[in-house]
Amino acid sequence: MIELRNVSFQYGEEDSAENRGALCNISLTIPRGQTVLLCGESGCGKTTITRLINGLVPHFYDGKLTGEVRINGQEIKDQPLYDTAENVGTVFQNPRSQFFNVDTRSELAFSLENRGMKAADIIERVHDTVEEYQMEYLMDRSIFELSGGEKQKIACGCVSAGSPDIFVLDEPSANLDMKSIAQLRTMIEKWKRQGKTIVIAEHRLFYIWELIDRAVYLKNGKIEKDMKPDVFRRLTENQLHDMGLRASTETKHNINHAAFLKSGEPLVFKEFVYGYQKKENVLDIREMLVPEKEITALTGNNGIGKTTFLRCVCGLEKKCKGTMEYEGKVYKRKKRLEEMFLVMQDVNHQLFTESVLEEVLISMKTEDQEKAEKILYDLDLLEYKDRHPISLSGGQKQRVAVATAIASERKILLFDEPTSGLDYHHMLQVAGVLKRLKNMGKTILVVTHDWEFIQAIDAHIMKLDEQTAERRVEINESEKFHTAIV
Amino acid sequence: MKTEIVSSTKDRKGIGLDPRTKILLLLMIAVFVLGGAGGSALVWARVLLACVPVGLLFASGRVRTCVIFVSVFVAGCFLQYFLLNKLNGFLNFIVLASAGMLTQFLPGLVMGYYAVSTTTVSEFVAAMERMHVPDQVTIPLSVMFRFFPTVGEEAGNIRDAMSMRGIFFSGKHPGKTLEYCLIPLMTCSVKIGEELSAAALTRGLGAPVKRTNICKIGFGVWDISFFVICAAILAYWIVTMEGNVQI
Repeated sequence: MIELRNVSFQYGEEDSAENRGALCNISLTIPRGQTVLLCGESGCGKTTITRLINGLVPHFYDGKLTGEVRINGQEIKDQPLYDTAENVGTVFQNPRSQFFNVDTRSELAFSLENRGMKAADIIERVHDTVEEYQMEYLMDRSIFELSGGEKQKIACGCVSAGSPDIFVLDEPSANLDMKSIAQLRTMIEKWKRQGKTIVIAEHRLFYIWELIDRAVYLKNGKIEKDMKPDVFRRLTENQLHDMGLRASTETKHNINHAAFLKSGEPLVFKEFVYGYQKKENVLDIREMLVPEKEITALTGNNGIGKTTFLRCVCGLEKKCKGTMEYEGKVYKRKKRLEEMFLVMQDVNHQLFTESVLEEVLISMKTEDQEKAEKILYDLDLLEYKDRHPISLSGGQKQRVAVATAIASERKILLFDEPTSGLDYHHMLQVAGVLKRLKNMGKTILVVTHDWEFIQAIDAHIMKLDEQTAERRVEINESEKFHTAIV
Repeated sequence: MKTEIVSSTKDRKGIGLDPRTKILLLLMIAVFVLGGAGGSALVWARVLLACVPVGLLFASGRVRTCVIFVSVFVAGCFLQYFLLNKLNGFLNFIVLASAGMLTQFLPGLVMGYYAVSTTTVSEFVAAMERMHVPDQVTIPLSVMFRFFPTVGEEAGNIRDAMSMRGIFFSGKHPGKTLEYCLIPLMTCSVKIGEELSAAALTRGLGAPVKRTNICKIGFGVWDISFFVICAAILAYWIVTMEGNVQI
């Protein structure tokens, strides 16, 4: 049983202006065995509630906390983190940074080892967990070799091995594709059947919508709505969107497009073959056509080389010998590196300087302040031109990266999962940026799992598929659905 | 694209040494081969110790690394003993310095590579516990094993991002390139470090109970033989030292 009574919390020092994630007089009681969804726009405080439950607030993240947080009657404030850890297990958003060991088996044993359990018991418990969640194929492997979905599966397995009463999940699906999300759902279903209490903070609703017993909607750090199933299931898609939430069903709308390739010249990608040593090729595309000055969405399941493909396309993979033909010219790797720009999933890697304006200026062939400011203006960034890029929000950083691409006069822009972990409004904002780029005459290729986003940008769809043996590009005219087979 | 430092799989190919034996061998090589302890009386020990990583690498199936190591090492020795007298002046100094560095540093480096690449994090932690090293030392060290490859991945991404932006050390602002590289690296490292610690804490790291460890470590025949060899070298060293003192 989780009890929050009149809880208010603010990160950082007193009187800090930063209100993101702050909570204001929250009271919430979650009885044993309930599955609760915490939803709301980014910064509404849902992650903070998960941190109150697992004790990271106030023990790890400093701030001003008032009110009571009790788990099974025990006040969390007075309990050291390692005691809370026995009752509460957490799955985090970022699969890259939640592991302590390098190999998977030690990782499953980790929380049990910390409790000082007998080695023989741990081995048995790990064995049972592996069997129950069918993770044999992931055992004794390096964490660094696993895909995002596989890492998240290990993270869930780690929590299960500890068999806590309460499972806390903080946007566990943010970096996952549809197949991995389905597996995540199966895990959550199992925990629910075991009678565990489950608290999920999440943007993507469709995969848990049928599982949850209760939906708590937060806005600006307050509980705005506390809904029972018969109430929240009746919400329409428009109502959800008005609340800033994503759709509750996996929307695979019929996508109708004007005939592919009718206007203009296509970009022809040839012989994109890439593989790690000795293993089979992760990527094997003989020929693929991408329409120019359009948005093309690349979908498919995790771990079949979409990101690798983007890296090969923009010329970052030295070993990939593929070429691109466009407007009668052949672009080899180095030439592509100059003509294309990849907006990475983690844009933090792409911003180097001390101000937004400088970021744009260094990308230009000849520095031109006026032109740089025009670019920033077009992307609603002008007011931030003197800010440090690191101090901006995620969406703003993304737009700064886009601004640098425009400044360096790239014709082709690639995006790697630009909407992962975004709420409805922020997703629409990204969609707006892409449409604006399209209007500027840029060709855009975007890797995404986000169907709502694909609909919003009205993209051509290209599906990277692993099952089909035929290795060529198929253009299915009747559905306007183009399949590039890997 | 393996970026890890320590091994992820229990590598029991060939001689499965205990981590403590590996540490001992590393120390011995550092003292005698790198440090040159014992002077000319212990040349045989130096040769013997320099051969240890060769044998270990070979036995664990890392034949390519082994061959490279041996040929570089032999080349270094060759330069030192045969070419040296025929050269003079600045060239002599360069050859002496590089060959000397090569032969002295290389065995230690290769032994270090072997020790680290065949030990898993939990084996390392177990070994440290058996040696009664306090948690305050062991835990930060083991987190570093996890942290560096992750930061390495980040650094790779940043390098990619820079080459895409056309920022190179030879580019428009060579002086600023380092700064450009460090800013995102620091931001990412801080974030990852924070997330790693938060995750480890919610899983009970730091509880005052005695941690258990599921990996089995212990001494086998090979461990004992290496200990005997090391003991013999040390004993001989001490004896010759006393001899020197008397004279």
